[in-house]
Amino acid sequence: MTNRDPILKIENISKKYGSKEILRSISLEIKKGETKVLIGPSGAGKSTLLQCINFLVMPDTGKVYLDGRCINSRKKKELYTYRQQVGMIFQDFNLFDHLTALENVSIGLIRVKKIKRSEANERAMQELKRVGLEEHANKYPAQLSGGQKQRVSIARALAMDPKVMLLDEPTSALDPELVGEVLNVIRNLVESGMTMLMATHQINFAAAVADEIIFMENGTIIEHGPPQEILFKPKNSRTKSFCSKINEIYGDMLT
Amino acid sequence: MNEWIYIQNAVVPALWKGLVVSIELIVPSAIMGLLLGIVVGTLRVYGSVFLRLLSDGYVVLFRGVPLLVQLFTWYFGLPHIGIFLSPFSASVLGFTLCSAAYHSEYVRGALLSIKRGQIMAAQSLGFSTLDTLRYIVLPQAIRRALPGCGNEIIYLIKYSSLAYMITCIELTGQAKALASQSFKYLEIFLIVGFIYLVLVSIASWLLNKLENALVIPGFELYKS
Amino acid sequence: MVEGSIVTIGVVFGAMFLGLILGVPIAIGQVYGKPFLRKIIAVYVWFFRGIPLLVLLFLFYFGFLPLLGLNLPAFTVASIVLGLISSAYQSQIFRGAILSLPEGQLKAARALGMSDFSAICNIILPQALRLSIPGWSNEYSIILKDSAVTYALGVPEIMARTHFVATRTYEHLILYATAGLLYLILTFAGTKALRILEEKVRIPGYATR
Repeated sequence: MTNRDPILKIENISKKYGSKEILRSISLEIKKGETKVLIGPSGAGKSTLLQCINFLVMPDTGKVYLDGRCINSRKKKELYTYRQQVGMIFQDFNLFDHLTALENVSIGLIRVKKIKRSEANERAMQELKRVGLEEHANKYPAQLSGGQKQRVSIARALAMDPKVMLLDEPTSALDPELVGEVLNVIRNLVESGMTMLMATHQINFAAAVADEIIFMENGTIIEHGPPQEILFKPKNSRTKSFCSKINEIYGDMLT
Repeated sequence: MNEWIYIQNAVVPALWKGLVVSIELIVPSAIMGLLLGIVVGTLRVYGSVFLRLLSDGYVVLFRGVPLLVQLFTWYFGLPHIGIFLSPFSASVLGFTLCSAAYHSEYVRGALLSIKRGQIMAAQSLGFSTLDTLRYIVLPQAIRRALPGCGNEIIYLIKYSSLAYMITCIELTGQAKALASQSFKYLEIFLIVGFIYLVLVSIASWLLNKLENALVIPGFELYKS
Repeated sequence: MVEGSIVTIGVVFGAMFLGLILGVPIAIGQVYGKPFLRKIIAVYVWFFRGIPLLVLLFLFYFGFLPLLGLNLPAFTVASIVLGLISSAYQSQIFRGAILSLPEGQLKAARALGMSDFSAICNIILPQALRLSIPGWSNEYSIILKDSAVTYALGVPEIMARTHFVATRTYEHLILYATAGLLYLILTFAGTKALRILEEKVRIPGYATR
């Protein structure tokens, strides 16, 4: 396979809760090293889409390919191996409350990848250093700030050497003054060539780092393209109205 | 002086024998009750609809009916369907089944208190269902269930005295026998009451120690 | 067994009532009392919560009350002992309820010039008692089940009658099942009644559960 083949491809993913359609036949693909950003109003289905990609929510229909291989989510072994290769960052961090920062990062290595504890801890420490938290390694989640928790959760995902990372509004549960430190870590990831699919409301940040912006509404992809196009010259009227609303809030940066 | 000799020669050995039987009743009942309670509590949260209904029914029944009725059922009732249990086995069976129902309440509450995000995060790292339960859910749930389950074990220590009612001669039974011989009800039952107080106090001290040993930031709230 | 139910209900109500009238002052003493008083109360609570019911029944019926020259019927002794134990438990329910009230309540009452006694009676208790109803419901079902143990003194309640009939008819299994059912019904009826009471006295804006 060449660099131009997508590393992650999803085809016709649909999801219903009762009679409510959350996702309507969504398809997209990401090539190695690309960063794609999902934008759209709350309730558009961004979060459900990301969780469907990782099968944390089982899609009703549709296929997911990693490195060209279709994932059979019914085969448990295959599912677990797949999930190890896809890092997930949650809106509300979901650090394991009974483990220290270091243990949070190393537990996947020890229990899932079956790496020796000493090696796992060493690796976990490296990842904590990468997100600037080596001094807080022995603190428990309850002793960390929101921004620090999210950085630990990024380190936890990175330690598994993921091929792709899915980020579900990583900064929306944070106090405004803590957003910057998390965005900095994500920006470093982009620069290091990580492949990422991120849902966010930080349009400013998206414009700066995204290779492509995907606008979603009511469970469908309305429009996608380079940031300049989507944010400044949207073709679709709904994208236009969403962007102009965003413009009102963040007016100074999009002009 | 006479009194002292009586205490030394009759009371101490008899009560000692009774205490040993009491502890032999309490320890296995506590351990089996807790284990069964964990299983039942887990089924009530994660089991299939049928298993959930079944385990909920079990809990309603065993928490709603007096322990004494349960003990009588096992001891006097089971022989009618051909099962003969010794007073000791019937007591252990009764204590185990009853305290498991109570334990399951605390285990269930603790499991339900664990946020879904914890499970999702483990799954996203590639944890299997069993490993998620073992390394993420249970270590947190046990900390939260501990105060309640500890209390239940203390109740068990006290309720072990009911074994006497189905002729399993433990501490209370020995005391009753001594007292009816000597008519020293006040003295003997004060001593026995004191022994139970000591047992209960030791148990709650140990449980407190255990809770303190397991306490971590973010989980202090659940200390009793 | 119907007669037995009436005796059981009598014992339970007697015990609940005694537990209530002792439990409230104990709780107030434990929260607002002087250190010495609190020590005494702590010992009282420790004593009645740490000793098995059966042992306390024997201790009072055969030991303690005769020593005082009181030869009370088994029914009365059973109610008293269950009531004393319950007062220890109920005091902890009230104590929790009092402590869960915002501190400002007592301060505001004092600021109006109320004496401490008046503030506790008029401001704290009406709120704390409402908050205690779920705890009572629990306590009721515990006393109801514990009342079966008073059979040991020969109180002619459900358990005693059941066993009496069972030993004569050899229908143990079916009779105990019936007794169990009877207890379940009584538990259900009692907790339901307390739920209705809770709803009746609910203060708008207060969610008790």
